[in-house]
Amino acid sequence: MDVVGFGILWVVLSILGELGVRVIIHNDPLYYTASNIGLMVENAMDFLLVVLVPIFIFVGLTLIWSMIRFRVKRGENPILPEKFVRNNKWFVGSWVIGSIAINLLFFLHPTASATEQFFAMENPQSPQNQQAVIVDVTARQWEWIFSYPQYGLKETLNANGQDQLELPVGRSVKFVLRSYDPYHTYDQYVDVIHSFWVPSWGIKEDVIPGEIRSIYITPTKLTSFAQNPMSRVQCAEVCGPGHPWMEAPLNVVSTGQFQKWIQYQKNLQNGLS
Amino acid sequence: MAQTNVAPTSTRAAQGGKRRVMPPVLRAFLWSGIAFVVVNTFVDVVDPFRGHPFVTGPSATFGWVAAVIGWLLGVGVWESVALPLFGYPDTWREKSAGWRRYFEYSTDHKVIGLQYLGSAMGGFLIAGAVAMLMRVQLMSNHLTIFRYPTNYLTAVGIHGTIMMFSVANVALLGGFGNYMVPMMIGSRGTAFPKLSGISVWLVPAGILTVLFSPLLGAWTTGWRGYEPLASQDANGILFYYLGVAALTMSTFIVALNMVTTIMFRRARGMTWNRLPLFAWGQLTVGLLVLIWIPEIQTTFVLALLEKLIPFNFFAATGSVMSYLELFWLFGHPEVYMIAVPAFALWNEIIPVMSQKSLFARDWAVIGLVFVMMLSGLVWAHHMFTNIRNSELLPFSFFTEMISIPTGFAYMAGIGTMWKGKIRLNTPMLLILMSMFNFLIGGLTGVLLADPMVNLQLHDTFYVVGHFHYTVIGSLVFTGLAGVYYWLPKMSGRMYNEFWGKFLSIVLFLTFNITFSQFFLLGLHGMNRWVPAYPQYLQPMNFEVSIFAFFLGASFLGHFIHIFWAWAKGPKASENPWNARTPEWFTTSPPPRNNFPVEPEIVSSLYIYGSSQPVSVQFPAEQELAAAKDPDGEGGPVQ
Repeated sequence: MDVVGFGILWVVLSILGELGVRVIIHNDPLYYTASNIGLMVENAMDFLLVVLVPIFIFVGLTLIWSMIRFRVKRGENPILPEKFVRNNKWFVGSWVIGSIAINLLFFLHPTASATEQFFAMENPQSPQNQQAVIVDVTARQWEWIFSYPQYGLKETLNANGQDQLELPVGRSVKFVLRSYDPYHTYDQYVDVIHSFWVPSWGIKEDVIPGEIRSIYITPTKLTSFAQNPMSRVQCAEVCGPGHPWMEAPLNVVSTGQFQKWIQYQKNLQNGLS
Repeated sequence: MAQTNVAPTSTRAAQGGKRRVMPPVLRAFLWSGIAFVVVNTFVDVVDPFRGHPFVTGPSATFGWVAAVIGWLLGVGVWESVALPLFGYPDTWREKSAGWRRYFEYSTDHKVIGLQYLGSAMGGFLIAGAVAMLMRVQLMSNHLTIFRYPTNYLTAVGIHGTIMMFSVANVALLGGFGNYMVPMMIGSRGTAFPKLSGISVWLVPAGILTVLFSPLLGAWTTGWRGYEPLASQDANGILFYYLGVAALTMSTFIVALNMVTTIMFRRARGMTWNRLPLFAWGQLTVGLLVLIWIPEIQTTFVLALLEKLIPFNFFAATGSVMSYLELFWLFGHPEVYMIAVPAFALWNEIIPVMSQKSLFARDWAVIGLVFVMMLSGLVWAHHMFTNIRNSELLPFSFFTEMISIPTGFAYMAGIGTMWKGKIRLNTPMLLILMSMFNFLIGGLTGVLLADPMVNLQLHDTFYVVGHFHYTVIGSLVFTGLAGVYYWLPKMSGRMYNEFWGKFLSIVLFLTFNITFSQFFLLGLHGMNRWVPAYPQYLQPMNFEVSIFAFFLGASFLGHFIHIFWAWAKGPKASENPWNARTPEWFTTSPPPRNNFPVEPEIVSSLYIYGSSQPVSVQFPAEQELAAAKDPDGEGGPVQ
């Protein structure tokens, strides 16, 4: 009787839970996703939420169900049966096999499938990555410096003199990440771990001093820092007192606007504007 | 080994007076202060560092070592261990009653257990107060109460370090481990009482070292002591390494003592198949501690030398990733050192309160053991954003698989409660809340175990929410349940059921409202270690802070209630829960040697039913011998 009632309630609550998950998925559990990697992360997260909600309701419900259905009143001394059930091979068997099956499922999808997809996106030989815009990112305490070697730009700045990252939409970008301090007077290599993170892109990659790392990302939405503050480059690894302010605005624009911006930056660099 | 002398207070008072010039703790402070100044000055003389202040990095390090030795000698190790070691008579008389025995060296595992619990509670209050300051700062998106960002980062580091190394590692292991485990296995003492009596005093030394680390300058690395950032910090980071060295050494000795005690001091009839679940938890965690604590201590010694010499092991010219690997190699087993005793305690308390036989006991034990073994294979999931791509899949595989043995703790608990006779009192309520919180902590961890999702969530407030759910949700709620469960045993008094439940419900609600919003903040782009953040995150942070203050207040309420019950609560009966484990088969609070004679375990401790025999018996001939032994020394303590 308890098992049947519990089962019905679990199914009903799981259906309601799944409807709730639909709403969350519709509104993007990551709040704002604007890159190819971000979309992959979002899909993985959606799948995990769909599977996890019935599990959450199952375990949570057993706790509440036991608490309400099997409690005895204070001071009451129930007569204990001669013997209690100490094992139930169906319950134990389905729990053990079920938890192994769910974890294997999660490992195959989304873990292995999305990771494979990620490796494909990061393949430097792929046609879109061969055409990538290259941005050299230098992390120093506490500044992001962006330079565009293909256009001869050493450090791109906005009108306020802040470091600015601007990219064309729909085109692969190769970020070359290094952590060192080009402005240090005698010891450029004294720097710490930073982490290159754009919240709206769904990815971060640590920048390790002494190493050069690269990552390919394709922005998928026209966006700007002014439009959505998740569109920013943010240091995610603690790197000293300046850490909270180690951020830079990110604008993703059309190809035409990007060319104009490149020209503006060139003029700026040559002292023409 | 010679028996420790136990004299009743009256005899001590008769001899006393001239022996004890000042309270041991006061003397410990004095001796450690003197030792620090003397050694610090000596180092300054032999290693002059011109233009530098009186306290330099090397002098503070050597001075600290001397100060800790002075501290330990001062609390009573001088008379009880150091002098006898050199052949002088042991003049230390251990008190058998009164509050003063908690403020000096003792070899009674119950006194030591309460010393550990008290230190953990003190650490919790200190680190909790620091957390409140952090939440005050985070109410606005720019610096307010902290003048410089380094001050805030130091606060984060102190909060994390004290909570991890002196609360999470201490409360259930050193506290309930020392107090309860020997009694639960029917032993009349622990294997290494003197070592254990010394080790507990390393905890206050460690807490004070970390707390006062800003005296040597701010440090910015958080509880990880992250290199290469740490090498840029002021000398305050030295007191982080040294304080943690003291705290981890204490945990190591606890594990050594517990593992040995459980292996060699079990009562007759206490077979491995009858061993209480909490003792199984202590044993598995003890093995984890013995394996991984030396590893992190070695790493911290390297980091200390890196700072003092410096070696450049972990700088850009050395190997930056080595420190991260070495830290997390310990860092993840650390999480299970915290969680496994909590899982064990769930299945200790649930059968008692459900008055029903423990369901699938073998699976519950297998779960604990497999969690222990797998915990050493998952560390790099803390490093998905910086390890090689080829390492993503293996580590995420083991990380996902560790949820299977963890689930066995739930399976046993749920199976036990199902169709049981549940008494929904404060400890049981807290256990159910803890299981619910850890469920959220665990399921949010499934998202983090996926490497792609992790690349977005890593280093955000989502992770902060996740680990506070697992640590506060599992450890602190279960720890409180343990305090309420064993309060009648430790104090002989009962708490107030209404206040216990009321405070628990308030705690549960404020905890969940506070930390569930951490997930949303993280998903919305709030990164960690920031006293200042973009404006759009401010409204939710403000509101989280308000609930965090209520959360802090409800913890205070619990502590006040527990202290009240301890001192003034109504008298409790000998075995108020009708439990079957041996610690309930003696008086409350227990006598010096726990049991009048060594008990014999004659039936399973977790099988309930109307026809079950009593599980613990005292052999009659030994009782007779005990009656002839007026000193209460009892039978031979092997």
